[in-house]
Amino acid sequence: MRAMQTAATGMMAQEMNVQVISNNIANVRTTGYKRQQVHFQDLLYENFRRAGSATSDQNTQAPAGTFIGSGVKTVSTGRVMTQGNISPTEKPYDLAIRGEGFFRVRMPDGRTTYSRDGSFDLDAQGQLVTRDGYQVEPGITVPNNASSVSINAQGIVEAMVPGQTAPQQLGQIQLVRFVNKVGLESIGDNLYIETAASGQPIDGFGGGEGFGTLQQNYLEEGNVQAVTELSSLIAAQRAYEMNSKVITAADQMMSATTQMFRG
Amino acid sequence: MENALLIGLSRQVALARELDVIANNVANVGTNGFKARSARFTEFLMPGAKADAFKPADRPLSYVIDKGTPLDLSQGAMELTGNPLDVALKGDNYLVVQTPNGERYTRAGSLSLDRQGRLVTQTGLPVMGEAGPISFGSSEHSMRIAADGTVSSDQGTRGKLRQVRFADPSALASEGTNLFSSTTPPQAAGPEARLEPGAIERSNVKAVVELTRLMEVQRNYQSIANMITKSDELRSRAISRLADQQA
Repeated sequence: MRAMQTAATGMMAQEMNVQVISNNIANVRTTGYKRQQVHFQDLLYENFRRAGSATSDQNTQAPAGTFIGSGVKTVSTGRVMTQGNISPTEKPYDLAIRGEGFFRVRMPDGRTTYSRDGSFDLDAQGQLVTRDGYQVEPGITVPNNASSVSINAQGIVEAMVPGQTAPQQLGQIQLVRFVNKVGLESIGDNLYIETAASGQPIDGFGGGEGFGTLQQNYLEEGNVQAVTELSSLIAAQRAYEMNSKVITAADQMMSATTQMFRG
Repeated sequence: MENALLIGLSRQVALARELDVIANNVANVGTNGFKARSARFTEFLMPGAKADAFKPADRPLSYVIDKGTPLDLSQGAMELTGNPLDVALKGDNYLVVQTPNGERYTRAGSLSLDRQGRLVTQTGLPVMGEAGPISFGSSEHSMRIAADGTVSSDQGTRGKLRQVRFADPSALASEGTNLFSSTTPPQAAGPEARLEPGAIERSNVKAVVELTRLMEVQRNYQSIANMITKSDELRSRAISRLADQQA
């Protein structure tokens, strides 16, 4: 029976849905996390009788055709790139992007990755690095005798150096944006890489045309809303159950068929 | 005697077909912009034999065949997503999608941009504006869609989503991947067409209705199976009784 395979595609789709929802819930406190959303599409239809086909030689037409669908498939698990809440941390190297833009992070293997997670620190050489020790591009080195480091909305890093009255400018944190940021690929660790779908990165700075601004001492929280995720989880679970009911019904109908002739 | 069996069989085939329709609806309970289908059946009268070769039956035999699976065109629930490129269509309008096989129509309004900055569906097919596909330059940002379908960015208006309607939307053919095709050309939806930005239209499958129909199909199928069993027993008893008679 076709209904069994159709319902099986429904169960697989809802299983995928639950996987994505549980990943969202697991990352409800992840800095800069962007929630994922599953999109489904219906599968091919078998057309037994086409709508508009002639039903007589008097030019009458069938008003509706017979279409038997074959289930559902997952088409994408795109990220919803809306702004997360900005929460204060009172740490000088914590940066939140308000609006558009990603930080550029250089991986140890030389690749360039992109992140919304601005929880940075200094390494032993005084370089601005992510929590995993990867360098934030362009490299910014804070002298070890510097005090009161400030980063403004445009990303310009300044610090007071002993013996100078004016703050010394150490560099400017670069931001990038993409035409289709939903097309970025996640590689874990709050990092994204460029893909053919995302388009080329467009460089810029905080406050520039099309870019958001930076906020020192703040971090961007994940944009997962626990209530929404939990209600989606319930809906997904019920949808899974309904598909399993269809399989049960198809099974019992087949069993009725096999027991019709007891000999 | 075989007639009862064959008529029962025609009903079972129809019920299995209806189960397939229900299974597809239930599988697509989470598909955005999906429109449920139902199964319609019709009585099929067996024509009487011609040329007086057979005596006409004392009552007509009516089989059942499937007539069509009309679309349920009711509006699905609106879910607010906050995504600026999501649109939920109001009323009976459709968005126009450009595919390699020509224009197709959809109500799944979860749009995004591709790397060329074109407004596309989740499968990457361009969504048509009133003057062709809508695209953005790489320096543009803050794309949004207004309630009348106007698509704009920080650098001004980039087009207006083409919304169409059909004189007979129930004749739309399902193509899969959330697309419909039509044999008759659509009409423009007119300036009063409205859509809801930042929201998507969920599937309009009503779970309770589908599960009730599911139970009904299953029980009907079983009762037909019982009927066939009974008529088979009747026949075998008739054969054994008649065989017992001494000539």
